[in-house]
Amino acid sequence: MLSNFGSILFFLIFGAVFVCVNILLSRLLQTRNPYPVKLSVYECGELPEGNSWIQFNIRFYVIALIFLIFEVEIVFLFPWAVVFKDLGMFAFVEMLIFVGILLVGLAYVWAKGDLEWDKPEQVPSPELYRTDNVNSAVKITESVAS
Amino acid sequence: MALSDIIRDNINSLNYFLPELLLTGLVLLMIIADLLLKKERSPWMSIIALIGSGVVLFAIINQYELGSRSIFNNMLAVDEFSIFFKLLFLATTILVIFLSIASVELSGRSVGEYFTLLMILTLGLFLMASATHMITIFIAIELVSIISFALVTYLKTRRRSSEAGLKYAIYGAFSSGLMLYGISILYGLTGTLNIYEIGEVLAGRDTNSLALLISVLLIMAGFGYKIASVPFHFWSPDVYEGAPTPITAFLSIGPKAAGFAVIIRFFNVALSNYDGVAEQWLALSNINWPQIIAVIAAATMTLGNLVAIAQDNVKRLLAYSSIAHAGYALLGVVVLSSQGVYATLFYLVVYYFMNLGAFFVVIIFQDIIGSEKIDDFKGLASRAPIPAIAMGVFLFSLTGLPPTAGFIGKFYLFAALIKAGPEFYWLAIVGLLNSVVALYYYARILKAMFFDKISEGVSPEPLKISPYYVTLLAVLGIPTILVGLYWAPLANLASHSVHFLPTF
Repeated sequence: MLSNFGSILFFLIFGAVFVCVNILLSRLLQTRNPYPVKLSVYECGELPEGNSWIQFNIRFYVIALIFLIFEVEIVFLFPWAVVFKDLGMFAFVEMLIFVGILLVGLAYVWAKGDLEWDKPEQVPSPELYRTDNVNSAVKITESVAS
Repeated sequence: MALSDIIRDNINSLNYFLPELLLTGLVLLMIIADLLLKKERSPWMSIIALIGSGVVLFAIINQYELGSRSIFNNMLAVDEFSIFFKLLFLATTILVIFLSIASVELSGRSVGEYFTLLMILTLGLFLMASATHMITIFIAIELVSIISFALVTYLKTRRRSSEAGLKYAIYGAFSSGLMLYGISILYGLTGTLNIYEIGEVLAGRDTNSLALLISVLLIMAGFGYKIASVPFHFWSPDVYEGAPTPITAFLSIGPKAAGFAVIIRFFNVALSNYDGVAEQWLALSNINWPQIIAVIAAATMTLGNLVAIAQDNVKRLLAYSSIAHAGYALLGVVVLSSQGVYATLFYLVVYYFMNLGAFFVVIIFQDIIGSEKIDDFKGLASRAPIPAIAMGVFLFSLTGLPPTAGFIGKFYLFAALIKAGPEFYWLAIVGLLNSVVALYYYARILKAMFFDKISEGVSPEPLKISPYYVTLLAVLGIPTILVGLYWAPLANLASHSVHFLPTF
């Protein structure tokens, strides 16, 4: 008989085999007729423009950190809500203290101005990006036509 | 256990958790005070921190009367062992607050966050000293690590400080990952994460020794990172050099001592069985982990001391010397006897005085002459005799020469090692040889200060040392000599503190 971890191993193997077999089957059965438009990125996003190693605004990290704090709060609130009825007043007070501590944190970042998003003084012209996009779109249509 | 029982145990535990609760309250108070005070450099933050530490100190001393108990459903232990470490951590924090007030390095930055982070760090150390559950140990270590990263990078405009913080964070993440993996294997082997229960399970039946060995080694990666033992020491010279010097002083004692608390508790409770008659623990299972730690200790001492020889920067030299001292303190852990644990505790207190003292002298000279190179220390004895003589005392003590505290500390460690039997004689010889090496590089600093002529272009006029500095030097220097001459009270405290849960 399979032990607990045995069934997990079975599940792993089955999952891997299932994916491989399906890809192999579709490869054997498909008809192939590639052309540039069909090969282009569609519906899943845009064509990448330039290198992805660009400078990120550090503000994103601060916001992400603050978000994380409240995410953790929610994670704690769920099990708390499940047993709330059994525990009654005690649980209520406990959660008040917990949320209170988090609120002190929120007040701190607020007062220190970390929730404000400073905008760059000079916004780069949107025209710049649009012409680039148009050009690449034109290139694709040209290559399709030829 | 029924839910209501668990809740009742938690509520009853609060009384035993008072120092930590007070510390949490203090941190919240400081955050609010920081907002209300508005001024970036107000002395109030340090005053609040000091008063709060005083209150916490009373709460800790009060714990001696409450007696030993396991609290929060066996998550933490309140016992003499943890109280001893809490006192040590609080003493470190109070002293580092005093050092920080005086530090010129920190004067350009807002101090509110600095002191708040320092208090959170202390809370993390308290939890490390009393944690008895692998997950609590992990969370406590992470709390200490993450706050340390922030404090190391506190001088964010200085390039070296940022670099140190980044290196520290990457090593920290890596070693935490390894430790968690080790904990998961241990859980797979024993089915529990509570260290008492791990001990019972390992005593009760045979476990796969290879898997146990791997898991212990992986867990040791996390602990070794905290005490900076070889081969997990790579972060420490860069971090010690880059961090603000008060924080360097703190890191070389607080987290290191906490690492020892965790190591002693984990190895002596989870992996060994206490024999009350012989006052000796017996290693459980068929792996000989005392010898593994012995090898780590020997490597740590030797590498720390040998690399320290080549250093030109005093802060870096002290970083390597503190790696070496972690190796010495491990000698008390390998022998698995009460005497060994007692020697380690004694040594950590002695190390507190002499190491903080040495760093403090570096802070003084760095603030005045703006350099921490050995070459720039030339002739300082004639320009600033008091710090130079104090440095002499601290360095002699670090070497382990009588009549200083360092000698007594090392004496206890080697005595415990010799008493443990012939299988550790080689380790004692390695340790003694290392002390000789240490004498050489400590003497280099002393030679530069006392015997070398002042470099050309540097004015030989005496340096002004403020009375505040002199007082702090006395606070650290006098015990360093006094304990070397009359060590009975400290020895009593240390031997009293060997008792940890489960009570025996």
